[in-house]
Amino acid sequence: MQDMSLTDLFVSLTNRIGLNYEFLATGYEAQIWRDGFITTLYLIALLIPVSLIAGLLFAACLTSGKIWLSAPVRGFIELTRNTPTLVQLMFSFLVLNTVVSNMLGGAQNNPLSPFFWVVAVVGLHIAALHAEAIRAGIEAVPASTVEAARGIGFSQLQILRYVEVPLAFRSSLPAIVNNLINLVKLTTVGNAIAVSEITYASIMVWTQRDNVVSLMIVILLFFSAINIIVARIGLWVERRLAVPGYGL
Amino acid sequence: MTNPSADTAIVKLEDVHLSFGQTQVLKGIDLTINKGDAVSIIGPSGSGKSTILRCINALVQPQSGRITVDGTRVDQLTKESERIALRKRVGIVFQQYNLFPHLTVLDNIVLAPTRILGVDRREAEKLARELLEKVRLSEKADAYPGQLSGGQQQRVAIARALAMKPELVLFDEVTSALDPETVGEVLWVIRDLIRDGMTSILVTHEMRFAEEISDTVVFTENGRIVDHGSPEQIFHNSDNPRIRQFVGGLSGGRGAVRDGEGI
Repeated sequence: MQDMSLTDLFVSLTNRIGLNYEFLATGYEAQIWRDGFITTLYLIALLIPVSLIAGLLFAACLTSGKIWLSAPVRGFIELTRNTPTLVQLMFSFLVLNTVVSNMLGGAQNNPLSPFFWVVAVVGLHIAALHAEAIRAGIEAVPASTVEAARGIGFSQLQILRYVEVPLAFRSSLPAIVNNLINLVKLTTVGNAIAVSEITYASIMVWTQRDNVVSLMIVILLFFSAINIIVARIGLWVERRLAVPGYGL
Repeated sequence: MTNPSADTAIVKLEDVHLSFGQTQVLKGIDLTINKGDAVSIIGPSGSGKSTILRCINALVQPQSGRITVDGTRVDQLTKESERIALRKRVGIVFQQYNLFPHLTVLDNIVLAPTRILGVDRREAEKLARELLEKVRLSEKADAYPGQLSGGQQQRVAIARALAMKPELVLFDEVTSALDPETVGEVLWVIRDLIRDGMTSILVTHEMRFAEEISDTVVFTENGRIVDHGSPEQIFHNSDNPRIRQFVGGLSGGRGAVRDGEGI
């Protein structure tokens, strides 16, 4: 009851300055909207680790010196970087997903949801950007440092793990944080294939209520807040990893 | 300063030829190094000195010739795992120190024994602290390389090489990047090591130091070993006019030696 009255207070106060949040007092629309926030947060929480892990793997392939590893990854990165993410998402959902359905003998047997395709497409798209940033970082590790590691007896993979990636991660961190901020905003493409993230949920509400500005204000504040947090965490990690006496 | 108790060859190069593309770097190197010996390789820049060291621990592969390190035919190694097995036994210290900048001094030393040899962390740390004491840097264990002077970094690099308990250590112009005042502290450490009987091969421009600590001095030029012998023989009694010219600046110190190699 306490909660209800707070909502009512908010609705009437905002009404006075011309904003319309009346739907919050209803059960159904308020629920859709609340779920939209949760879905967006869920997407972000999944996509950040997915993009980072895939980006690291891509970068490892790119710098492996083995053409059968680097060429396919290079091809994928060029494709995903140079074409619109929205088109990739629609292609994935309308074409790839249909192919999968046909192979499994019908859509009812296809376990892949629109949510999955958003994670896959956006995750791999941002991973491609991460990979380029990390590759640049790996290539910036002085050849003499790598030779010293080889001379000591580290294997190629150990050099990558203990020397190249830790140094590359530090130098590519600002670019990676930029990509993550982009990632947060890119989750909104999900609305194109009916993933009910916050923009999709908001469209559902405002087509009924005609309160675009009211919802837009919240959406903008919501994404701004998330990205301020992402940038802050990035800065914190940067400071944590800073090496005294080293230019990174 | 010969060591009569150990007369077995630990490193043997026979007719080693190596080119990088069109450039012939080594044109038939023959060199034998006995266990416990300190051998200095001197000669003008570009004469192939550093490449000889890189051949010995398989960082580069010669086109022909035989390289044997303590029974291992280095020239015949084909797998990276075999090269790694060799490098575990052969320490190398570089001109530019090449410490891992993101790790503390202690972690720089501990990383290889724990990750390559699988030594227990506590044990590796104990050895690392002993080695730091040996190179007189105990108080710098928690510092990062970027906080150290060149001479200090180079001493850490030596400790890092020693942490693998190598059978021999290669020193590749380890004082060339240092200012004259810090050269001494690094040479002091190497001198100590050689006195303890560590087989050492040094590429160096420190002629006085080479004369003092070497059992054998090798003079290279244009990818060939022009002469080798005792320090006395190379520095003071060489018949070869080129060597006399090269080491002639010796009495004038470092600067003069540098002038002598301006070829």
